[in-house]
Amino acid sequence: MNAVRKKEWLCPRNVVAGLAAGAMLAVAGAASAGVIKIGASLRMKTETGEKYGQMVVDELSAINAAGGVNGHTIEIKLLNDECKSDIGVANATKYAYQDNVHLFVGSTCSSVSLPIVDVIHKAGVPMLIPHSTNYKITLKGSPWVFRVPISSRFSAAAAAKYTAENIGTKIAYIWASDAASQADAQKFYEYIRNFHGEGPLYAEQFQEGELDLRPHLLKIKALQPEALMISAQSQDFARGLVQSYEVGIPPSVKRIGGSAASNRPAPILAGDAIKGVFFHAAFSYVDPDPNAQAFVKMTTERYGVPTPDHDFSQAWDLVQIAKRALERANLTLSDDSLAADRAAIRDALATIQGYKTLGGGVVDFCADATPECRDGNKTPVLIEYTKGGEDYELRVIGKTTFGADFGLDGMQEEAAALRKSLDN
Amino acid sequence: MAEQAASLRFIDATERGLTRLRAVHPLAPWLVAFLLLAPLPWVLLNTYHVFLANFICVMILLSVGLNIVKGFCGQVTVGHVGLYAIGAYTAAVMSVNFGMTFWMSLPIAVMVTLLAGAVVGIPSFRLEGAYLALVTLGLGESVRIFISATEYLGATNGFSGIPAPRIGDFRFDTYQKYYYLVMPVMLLGVFFSFRILRSRLGRGFMAVREDPVAAAAAGVNVRGHKMIAFLISAGYAGFAGALYAHMIPGYLNPRNFTVIEMVTLLLMVVLGGLGHIWGGVIGAIIVTIVYDITKDYYHYSLLLFGSVIVLTVLFMPKGIGGIIDRFIATRRFIAIREGRATRPGSDDAA
Amino acid sequence: MLLRTENLSKHFGGLRAVDGIDFELEEGEVRGLIGPNGSGKSTFFNLVSGIYRPDEGSRIRIGGQDTTHFEPHRIAALGVARTFQLLRVFSEMTVLENLLVGHHLHVAYGPVAAVLGTRRMRNEERRVREEMMELLAFIGLADFAAMLASELSVGQRRLLALGRAMAMRPRLLMLDEPAAGLSPVNVDNLLRIIVGLKERYGLTVIIVEHILRVVMDTCEKVTVLDHGQKIAEGTPDEVKTDHAVIEAYLGREMEDDEVRRVLQG
Ligand SMILES: Nc1ncnc2c1ncn2[C@@H]1O[C@H](COP(=O)(O)OP(=O)(O)OP(=O)(O)O)[C@@H](O)[C@H]1O
Ligand SMILES: [Mg+2]
Repeated sequence: MNAVRKKEWLCPRNVVAGLAAGAMLAVAGAASAGVIKIGASLRMKTETGEKYGQMVVDELSAINAAGGVNGHTIEIKLLNDECKSDIGVANATKYAYQDNVHLFVGSTCSSVSLPIVDVIHKAGVPMLIPHSTNYKITLKGSPWVFRVPISSRFSAAAAAKYTAENIGTKIAYIWASDAASQADAQKFYEYIRNFHGEGPLYAEQFQEGELDLRPHLLKIKALQPEALMISAQSQDFARGLVQSYEVGIPPSVKRIGGSAASNRPAPILAGDAIKGVFFHAAFSYVDPDPNAQAFVKMTTERYGVPTPDHDFSQAWDLVQIAKRALERANLTLSDDSLAADRAAIRDALATIQGYKTLGGGVVDFCADATPECRDGNKTPVLIEYTKGGEDYELRVIGKTTFGADFGLDGMQEEAAALRKSLDN
Repeated sequence: MAEQAASLRFIDATERGLTRLRAVHPLAPWLVAFLLLAPLPWVLLNTYHVFLANFICVMILLSVGLNIVKGFCGQVTVGHVGLYAIGAYTAAVMSVNFGMTFWMSLPIAVMVTLLAGAVVGIPSFRLEGAYLALVTLGLGESVRIFISATEYLGATNGFSGIPAPRIGDFRFDTYQKYYYLVMPVMLLGVFFSFRILRSRLGRGFMAVREDPVAAAAAGVNVRGHKMIAFLISAGYAGFAGALYAHMIPGYLNPRNFTVIEMVTLLLMVVLGGLGHIWGGVIGAIIVTIVYDITKDYYHYSLLLFGSVIVLTVLFMPKGIGGIIDRFIATRRFIAIREGRATRPGSDDAA
Repeated sequence: MLLRTENLSKHFGGLRAVDGIDFELEEGEVRGLIGPNGSGKSTFFNLVSGIYRPDEGSRIRIGGQDTTHFEPHRIAALGVARTFQLLRVFSEMTVLENLLVGHHLHVAYGPVAAVLGTRRMRNEERRVREEMMELLAFIGLADFAAMLASELSVGQRRLLALGRAMAMRPRLLMLDEPAAGLSPVNVDNLLRIIVGLKERYGLTVIIVEHILRVVMDTCEKVTVLDHGQKIAEGTPDEVKTDHAVIEAYLGREMEDDEVRRVLQG
């Protein structure tokens, strides 16, 4: 009778014991002293994604091969988050509590990095972000978060700032009725009004897909603006550009696009009408800067990628920044120093100043848990089309640097709300 | 031989144990299940596993609900993640934009999801099989697309800042604490499904699945049963969604409610056992754990999941639940053939 | 009058499957319904049981109630049970569950009671299970109660289909070719069961059957359909000699006694 009863109880206990054994295995594999553990969660769906993931691994291996960081070796683990927040959150949680990483790297998507901030903040793991631009990420105010790329609070105004400073403030606007195009135009003229006191010369909305924009363009021509913004999705944008030449608006009037201007269909649809239109990024492979060109050469030779985008360049920047911080951090790396080591890496990251990125911007971090301190790069690069069509060409026309506190006016309330939800 | 005898004795012992428990009180097995599950956060060695346990609980709710409408009532719905999203976003909006507590946002989320479930259920009156699948897929996807395009819901940036539930000053703000919210709800959900599926209503569902014409001729209100199945499954999705929304980090994004998630959910039900009372539970546990273990081989995950679905459908149409049933039946059969009657209470001497 | 149809019609495209049938059935009667293949017998059943919607101008009354536009489950609720030519047993359910579904309308508890597991619900479940086991014993399938219907032989499935209809505790039982495909021994068996059921429960029965022996032996009155129309009605002996019937079955060319031999099986 007794024997039988024992068997009954074996059932659930077996299951629990099995789970526990599995957990122990996982933990045993994770805890080892003298090794700096880095966990990365990136979008590696595309081939390029795979390759810059590989580059991160290669760069860190190279550090190990050269003797490591202060004698410690780096161990990196890569997980794909497919740009999905639930997977990213699971990855970060796994790194934080199971793999016991010292530094978390990720993610490449704002929508994934946003919730990960909460996870990392609770767990107390430094987070170094390779590519997520949403301004809220640092506005949440976690002391554990460091962002290498350019926050959207800068990039949203990059084109406007550059235009105002280098071209003029007499600007005509037409925009398509979709939400994104409207918002792009609105942000632009609000910037010009707020910082240069100039209202729009002409401002009209047109219907998405409207075929004939010439009535608008003819009126604009008569107003003789210095610049013309056509904020619309690729097709409407291309049509607007072509028609602006048809009605005889001279080439000297700078044409400006919304965020769709950098999308691949735009130069192909617009042909040479796109010449002179510019957009912004953190890096461009056409940048003649020797560092940038050396990087392009490297990615071409090692990874077969002759046109690395800013995801690629920022991943490289991130490794260099991580390396500097790890060198500066005083790490114990014993079984019970995890929390202290994580804090040491966080503090070391906060001392990074003046790191020059491949794109030409400068990354500065500081100790406060504020966007001013934690949005590293504040210098968008402006890139212009010099030729349209299938084999369009680009060149860098300039860079524009923002003050650390730019775009934070009137955000106190949002920041407070975000900080509150972080502690929830 | 010895092995078979042992496994048989184990099966019998378990069954006898359950019978004895039920004799004490019909709810006793559930209480025991609760007591066994309660210490899990202490048994699991790290927070990540507690996180997984929470996630599994949410998935169990979802897949048990899906199994009711798909496995038991036979309605091919591919819009279930849409309902899950509706539950999650309703809870999020109620708590963040209207300042409600979890205890208000949860029931509202469930009610709204029930309404949506009714909308998904109506096409099932006229459509079957692939056509119904297409329509429900469309409905589910349109939910995701609507969210992606709606600024109020955070669009593609996601909806963040959904607070952790609280009772007075106690906040369910760690995975360990949250477990004690989500696990009991999961257990109640499973309990509810057992009671429903083993009742007159559950038999009605199965009859509709097997043959709606014969079911109707036997007096089963076919439309009514389809609608109830859709509503029940929507209720589960509503609970799952609200619990997911309020779980750390309190963030939602339409990308988490795509066709891929739907396929994963289907995999859970198919692998666990379509129309098997344990199907949703077994499937959610196994798929979540296997997915986690194979995470490092992300290159192959879709291939792996796809082939598992195909192989399951081909070689074990009743899933793991069906295999377990078979196993038990075979053991019994062998024992009876060998002349060892093994009804409970008769094998103590053996 | 238990069942009465007036001008009952159903067309599929240009085909008049059932064409203006007036039909009357007294309580307690056992009626045979015969006719060549495609003459509309199954369609007639489908119309009466609400599975097909009748054409405009048709009328069906069951037990004095107009059921012309009733849905099938409401007709079932009036005590009309039927079997199907192609059986339509619930294959992936157990034999016992098949009967429990048949008994669906007589299981007196709702979903709330099911979830709460009330005493009443448990007693009711016990009662219906016991009753269905009794019924299974009566049709000789008790040993198979826990088996899936798909695991039964064809003959057993026929019995199960009959059992499921009986589980409905019907007033009117409509059997669509209950003996098709059975061996002569099993046909006898089935006949015994049908007669037994009728006597035990005082049923009214309509039997569609091609094995005419079944109809001739069990029915007091026979209705003959051809091309959707009623061509004859009367006692088996009357019908057997009816010229229209013979013609319908075999065409004009045959000698009468040859026909009679065929009709008598
Ligand atoms: N759903 C349907 N759609 C189209 N035609 C149908 C349908 N149901 C029946 N029919 C046609 O109606 C006619 C009558 O069919 P029914 O099944 O009622 O004949 P039956 O007398 O039962 O024949 P059998 O003895 O072969 O069973 C046939 O020609 C059949 O093809
Ligand atoms: Mg027929």
